[in-house]
Amino acid sequence: MRGVLHFLIGLTVIFCIECKVKQDAIDGAIVNSKVDRKIDVSTHLVKMSTSITLENTGKSPIKSFLYALEPSLQNYLSIITANVKDKDEKLGVSQTTVASKKDLSFWRIELPSNLEPGKTMTVDVDSSYAHALTPYPAEITQSQKQQVLYNGNVYFFSPYSTKSQTTTVTTTNTAIESYSKSPKPVSQTDRTVTYGPYEQREAFSEAELRVHYENNSPFLTVTNLERIIEVSHWGNIAVEEHISMRHTGALLKGPFSRYDYQRAQDGLSSIKAFKTVLPAAARDVYYRDEIGNISTSNLKEMDDFVELELRPRFPLFGGWKTQYYIGYNVPSYQYLFNKGDNYALKMRFVDHIFDDMVVDQVTVKIILPEGAKNMRLETPYPVTQGENQLHFTYLDTTGRPVIVIHKSNLVEQHIQDFQLHYTFQKLLLLQEPLIVVGAFYLLFLAVIVYVRLDFSITKDEAKESKMRVASLVEEVQSAHDRRSALYQSYDDAINKYKSTKDANTFAATRKKVDADYKSLTQQISDRQYKDLVALAITLAEKLVSGKINKQQYLDNEKINKTKREDLDSKMEALRSSLA
Amino acid sequence: MKSSSAGWGPQWLLKMSPDKQDTLLKMLVLSIAAILSFSTRLFSVLRFESVIHEFDPYFNYRTTRYLTEEGFYSFHNWFDDRAWYPLGRIIGGTIYPGLMVTSAVFYHALWFFNITIDIRNVCVFLAPMFSSFTTLVTYWFTKELKDAGAGLVAAAMIAIVPGYISRSVAGSYDNEGIAIFCMLLTYALWIKSVKTGSLFWSCLCALAYFYMVSSWGGYVFLINLIPLHVLALMLTGRFSHRIYVAYSAVYCIGTILSMQISFVGFQPVQSSEHMAALGVFGLCQMHAFIDYVRSKLSVEQFNILFRSIVLMGAVVSLSVAAIGTATGKISPWTGRFYSLLDPSYAKNNIPIIASVSEHQPTTWSSFYFDLQMLTIMFPAGLYFCFNRLTDANIFIIMYGVTSIYFAGVMVRLMLVLAPVMCILSGIGVSSTLNTYMKNLDVSRKDKKTSKKNVDHTYPFKNEVATGVVFLVTAFLITYTFHCTWVTSEAYSSPSIVLSARAGDGGRIIFDDFREAYYWLRHNTPEDAKVMSWWDYGYQITAMANRTILVDNNTWNNTHISRVGQAMASTEDKAYEIMRELDVNYVLVIFGGLTGYSSDDINKFLWMVRIGGSTDRGAHIKEADYYTPQGEFRIDKEGSPTLLNCLMYKMCYYRFGEVYTEGGKPTGYDRVRNAEIGNKNFDLDVLEEAYTTEHWLVRIYKVKDLDNRGA
Repeated sequence: MRGVLHFLIGLTVIFCIECKVKQDAIDGAIVNSKVDRKIDVSTHLVKMSTSITLENTGKSPIKSFLYALEPSLQNYLSIITANVKDKDEKLGVSQTTVASKKDLSFWRIELPSNLEPGKTMTVDVDSSYAHALTPYPAEITQSQKQQVLYNGNVYFFSPYSTKSQTTTVTTTNTAIESYSKSPKPVSQTDRTVTYGPYEQREAFSEAELRVHYENNSPFLTVTNLERIIEVSHWGNIAVEEHISMRHTGALLKGPFSRYDYQRAQDGLSSIKAFKTVLPAAARDVYYRDEIGNISTSNLKEMDDFVELELRPRFPLFGGWKTQYYIGYNVPSYQYLFNKGDNYALKMRFVDHIFDDMVVDQVTVKIILPEGAKNMRLETPYPVTQGENQLHFTYLDTTGRPVIVIHKSNLVEQHIQDFQLHYTFQKLLLLQEPLIVVGAFYLLFLAVIVYVRLDFSITKDEAKESKMRVASLVEEVQSAHDRRSALYQSYDDAINKYKSTKDANTFAATRKKVDADYKSLTQQISDRQYKDLVALAITLAEKLVSGKINKQQYLDNEKINKTKREDLDSKMEALRSSLA
Repeated sequence: MKSSSAGWGPQWLLKMSPDKQDTLLKMLVLSIAAILSFSTRLFSVLRFESVIHEFDPYFNYRTTRYLTEEGFYSFHNWFDDRAWYPLGRIIGGTIYPGLMVTSAVFYHALWFFNITIDIRNVCVFLAPMFSSFTTLVTYWFTKELKDAGAGLVAAAMIAIVPGYISRSVAGSYDNEGIAIFCMLLTYALWIKSVKTGSLFWSCLCALAYFYMVSSWGGYVFLINLIPLHVLALMLTGRFSHRIYVAYSAVYCIGTILSMQISFVGFQPVQSSEHMAALGVFGLCQMHAFIDYVRSKLSVEQFNILFRSIVLMGAVVSLSVAAIGTATGKISPWTGRFYSLLDPSYAKNNIPIIASVSEHQPTTWSSFYFDLQMLTIMFPAGLYFCFNRLTDANIFIIMYGVTSIYFAGVMVRLMLVLAPVMCILSGIGVSSTLNTYMKNLDVSRKDKKTSKKNVDHTYPFKNEVATGVVFLVTAFLITYTFHCTWVTSEAYSSPSIVLSARAGDGGRIIFDDFREAYYWLRHNTPEDAKVMSWWDYGYQITAMANRTILVDNNTWNNTHISRVGQAMASTEDKAYEIMRELDVNYVLVIFGGLTGYSSDDINKFLWMVRIGGSTDRGAHIKEADYYTPQGEFRIDKEGSPTLLNCLMYKMCYYRFGEVYTEGGKPTGYDRVRNAEIGNKNFDLDVLEEAYTTEHWLVRIYKVKDLDNRGA
């Protein structure tokens, strides 16, 4: 966009309406010394790979050359890429126009190095065209086979003259109905038709190439794809794809007979199922449509991908449509990278839907966490960016920013990563849990306040005095509880004294407990227990110092213990009667 | 002593004041019951998915979606051209909007807090949620009638009673789902207002009644039961100012409010079903006036006055009723009402009412199936109510007795019976346990001293008490198991997705209905008209979004009859009808391949009966479709009329070539267990457009007229 050529990730630039197109002129010094064209029409796509040997017959070095699209195909182009023969590096490709040939579509391909005069260089140009094959006949019955027509140009359509060229057309199978047999030489072997070699053709020379053949490969087209990527900084990225698809082959004429379909397995061109490849980390995959779950799918987990075999609710015949959506979760650490508060999301712009897929329209929506700012998008090919939106879902206050991207006419080669850079304050991560905590806090607070409020107009004396008594009882109860605890610590101390015989510690503990006890006895006047405890203390002291023998001690202790237990149960009774 | 230092243990619980313990226990039991009632209804969601069930819920779901998307006013003014082609249907004025409005309110409230839940999920989970509310209301209601203990038992029982679950599982998005809650709420508030005689409670009761009216046609039961209660109170001499205030307020406000529902309109003052309420209202005024006059006059004067007033009142009311009926101001008794009073009425007179399985009389087994031990505890509860008669108890007795009658008339009204069964059984169980628990000798073995104090009113008091307590416990446990089993086995299938056990123990899913509807939705023209039997009308409009001729709102008998005639005629005759009705596609349900028994062939006799019930279908006679022996057979012996009618041909088109079962000839129908009698025929005016994977749904396209000369 903005008229700047994109050379992103060493990839290509293709057809884009918004591109401000450059002007070029045809350089007469360039000659195609040898052109080898392979047109693969075995699927529903036309895949054309052209190997061009360029020769510079001029005086000055050449930086780039022009590639013209055949007039019959120029509306169908999905993608075009170029590389030097036997090298992987992609060359820069950009759309351009030529003043003298206004109605033609040209692409300028940058050479990696200047082509010096007299030198040659071989460049491979690959292009794919969707919807370029015409079903012929356009309507077939269920049992008929689907036949299609490929219309092209026998000659390499080039702004330069071509010295020598051959074209081979590869079809689906050997059932070739007919093909254009001129200009000679034309030959057919198995599933290929070879045109040429032809010598010395002028620039822009044309001759009709026409192949009519059987093609039952799935003519499946995604008419509309909406891909929603929802990023959560809690470690998850949710992907959901809404897909509308249509069988774009020959239309079904007449009835659909389930009996024939089940028995004879005819309906060769119909689509029963297809496979979608998801990332290896995909979990919680679902496959639904607007009326519920579609139960006919199989999930296979491979080593580096997840294969999902999807069967639409009904088989797709020519002209039939369906809609569905699939969704899954992937862990964010594989796709989300950060440095401080700067984040980068690196994901596929579109993902695999089926082999040799064709997507007419795609809308990608990327939902970022609330508070994400400074979004900057980098895409491998030009796209149209829509207006950012806000998305509100669970626990949102200001809304999550949504990046909306549109693109049309995509094929498998478009499965490439985009990058989205943004900043996000990590502290904002706590916002949503805090909202939950706050809400619950307020709720409980409201209940606490409400329970304590009295909305009655008249005063209820009985109720009030009852409550007053209740509070007094509670006070006494807690005092009793604490005293019980003290007695317990007396017991503990005595036992410890008995076993360790450490008089000092015992004295210290006893002093402390005594002090506590005193403050409590001010509240409760019941002293009996204390006396018994005192007795237990003296007895224990006596035993330790050897003043009484063991039998005597045990007897005394037993009497004492029953007395204590008795009192204890009395106190329990008192407590429960208070309660 | 030992645990006194434990702090926050069970000791802490014991030390709470009994008031608090009581509250805690009640809240615990209630919340467990409420959660249970929600979760026991989720079987189908867990087994299948969050999906709307059956037929009517699909209509409710569709209208709810419309309401949430378009807003209340366009919903109110909605003229639906997708249904009843070419008549259409004024949706806003012909439905009870309570259900849709409730869901829409929930939906918008949740969305306001950015809880972006799908409207379908709101609809699916609405019924279970309202059953939780019902549990709470039942507790309150029973508490008002008896005590908190009985309330808790009743609440626990209603949480899992199958008679109610059958209509309120997740996905069963129907009026009844919320109506039972509204009904019990109204009753509870009515009891409250009778007990207090306060205007406040009466107004709340009227509001609850308004909600009830807005959500279910069954409100008629309510507006007859409350006057009946008042009448009973008058007859038993319990009429007082409290009841006067309560009834006058509830009737006036309630009636005015109920008339705001456009589907109800002026019925509350015109139709005979509401006249009882009006009459009792008048009686109330008179009773109160007479009481006033009596307090001012001497006995003789009063007697003369009384006699003359009664005579005059009778004459005036009779003549008003006669004039009203004659001029049509008081609408004639509707068929559904007659069938309540006389179970055989509908069967003899209105085939369309009789054709619905839920309008059939209830069998004894289904009483046990739906209520289990409640059928036994119900009389016990009644006994305890009679034992200590109060104004409120009289109400629950009347409710119990009337609803048991209505439930006997129509299976569907089991729903009204289930709550009162729970309440009365709750009272029964609680009172029984209360009585016998006291007799239990719970003192510890080591304290034999208390034995002396045992009174000897009857022998083995302790043993009998233990026995009774154990028996009741056993009853309750089996009740729980029975309810869960019934819920899981009988009431939790969505019926839109079928499942069967495969030979290897796995589960096969038949998703043919949605397959067909989805095919219609995407592969037929937007304005295509689909003809099918009325059962599938709601599902087709909701899922396929196509125009249909008749649907489950069976308001136009002649139109349905016309479709029945088309199905029952030969191809040529049917073609005329289909051209007349602009039909593009015809959809039939066929179970012969899979053994799905509720298919169109089994429903076919109803089509014949309904088709023949109007003037234009007079030529269709049920007898023609039977063999001379009076059997309904589809094999070679079957009547030729049947073997050549459109329905037969559409179901069995090319079926004659299929092998369905090993060892049987081709074209063996697995539902009727017979080889079809008419094989290898061609369709002249239709062509097969789509048949689903298991042949459950077959869709045919109506061919255009032939070109001239062709």
